[in-house]
Amino acid sequence: MPNKPTCSILAAPILVAMVGISLTACKILPTPSGENGGNAPAFNADKMVGDIWAAKVVPYLQQKAGSFPEVHALAKADPAAAGAKYGNPKKQANSPWTFAVRLEGKVVAANTQSRAATMDVDADGDGKADARVQIGPAMRGTALRDSLDFIQFNDFTNQIDFAQFGKAFNIHADKTVLSKLPREALEGRSVRIVGAYVMGSGQDLPLVTPAEAEIGPKP
Amino acid sequence: MKLTRRMTLAAFAGMLALGTAAPAYAADLIAIITPSHDNPFFKAEAVGAEAKAKELGYEALVLVHDDDANKQSELIDTAIGRGAKAIILDNAGADATVAAVQKAKDAGVPSFLIDREINATGVAVAQIVSNNYQGAQLGAQEFVKLMGEKGNFVELVGKESDTNAGIRSKGYHDVIDDYPDLKMVAQQSANWSQTEAYSKMESILQANPDIKGVISGNDTMAMGAYAALAAAGRKDVIVVGFDGSNDVRDSIASGGIKATVLQPAYAQAQMAVEQANDFIKNKKSPAEEKQLMDCVLINGDNAAKLETFALTN
Repeated sequence: MPNKPTCSILAAPILVAMVGISLTACKILPTPSGENGGNAPAFNADKMVGDIWAAKVVPYLQQKAGSFPEVHALAKADPAAAGAKYGNPKKQANSPWTFAVRLEGKVVAANTQSRAATMDVDADGDGKADARVQIGPAMRGTALRDSLDFIQFNDFTNQIDFAQFGKAFNIHADKTVLSKLPREALEGRSVRIVGAYVMGSGQDLPLVTPAEAEIGPKP
Repeated sequence: MKLTRRMTLAAFAGMLALGTAAPAYAADLIAIITPSHDNPFFKAEAVGAEAKAKELGYEALVLVHDDDANKQSELIDTAIGRGAKAIILDNAGADATVAAVQKAKDAGVPSFLIDREINATGVAVAQIVSNNYQGAQLGAQEFVKLMGEKGNFVELVGKESDTNAGIRSKGYHDVIDDYPDLKMVAQQSANWSQTEAYSKMESILQANPDIKGVISGNDTMAMGAYAALAAAGRKDVIVVGFDGSNDVRDSIASGGIKATVLQPAYAQAQMAVEQANDFIKNKKSPAEEKQLMDCVLINGDNAAKLETFALTN
């Protein structure tokens, strides 16, 4: 029991009963909302991402990123320690860690048949794939957005705006980086990626979303 | 004149409520207000919240607003009148609810929102919602895979006043629209309702017999759509839902609906009660008002582990 004076506890309901009436006497109609749930048309996720990409996003990832084998090994052994070092400390409590990562290695397989194209990269030289890199145009998830400690869900009106903002990172990466990459004969080429991936629990390869990507010439 | 009389009556009612509430102060009260329990999702929320409230020594007042903002406003009056120490609310509209939650706040009763957001911050103490966008992307990715990245499909959308209807649709399209060979031939709202989804699906199917898939904003609409498809001899149509209900779990197990996305409804409601308890006893608010909980894809691989909106190990 909080140590509030009894009178205020008793007074509150009466006050509220009065307030309640004045509210129920008029009919409350929901504001008509459009397809986007009624958010303000002024919100422009693509522009917001465009504005921070070169100035904040890429520098943040470059500074925060660890090399993939190190990040992945630490994530397996001690997720909290990996999170503290390479993750976004302000992530949602129930969400898995999203790590900033630098991936260098050789392409050992590629799937460019799907619109969600990917290439599998061997980072430790054993000839086996260690990570899968999204190369668009269709891209999954919101790893880039979720890796940044200066982006907060609470700063957005609702999930729709927050989601659009997340998607805008993928669109920007595709437009400015990934669409310029070669698509043919990727196997055997060297790659250098700076990006982010979400720590998974399954058997699938870690899925890296690039913010920067370079692919070397054909071997 | 009429208004004055109503006010006097209501003031009496308020006093009466106060009188009856007084003995109940022995155990503090938490009000749990959700949409109709006809949808097992909302029932799971109410059951989860009530169980946690009782475990923490509270009395629980369980109410349903049937997605009617006016009724919700009255129920909030009831909760305030009964001297509730906190309100756990799955609300009846992102815009319409703001005033009702503000009213409770002004009366000193904190609200802890679950499942659905409102379009305002600083009014509720907490808004704990499933990451509907992340969940919708999981569902859409599975749908795209099942469809082989091509074919005609139908989308059933939820109730328009609910942010979740828009966010799931957006999540679906952000994935699906990247595949130009997937063509949406119809998009209709069935207002989260199974019966409405059944009748809408019947007429959509008549106009578009060549559909290959249906993606639905929730499980009850997916159940309605699948029933209509089955009745028309079209069990071949791929149906994907959202929520992770036991009904859809059973349908997946028997080869009906192909996939859904689990929202941790039970755990979410319990978390809201824990935060309410912390606020009541320690005057401590959660670090962030808006909190997202991740969703999980459910398909043939893990459906057997699903029970009442939670995955068992």
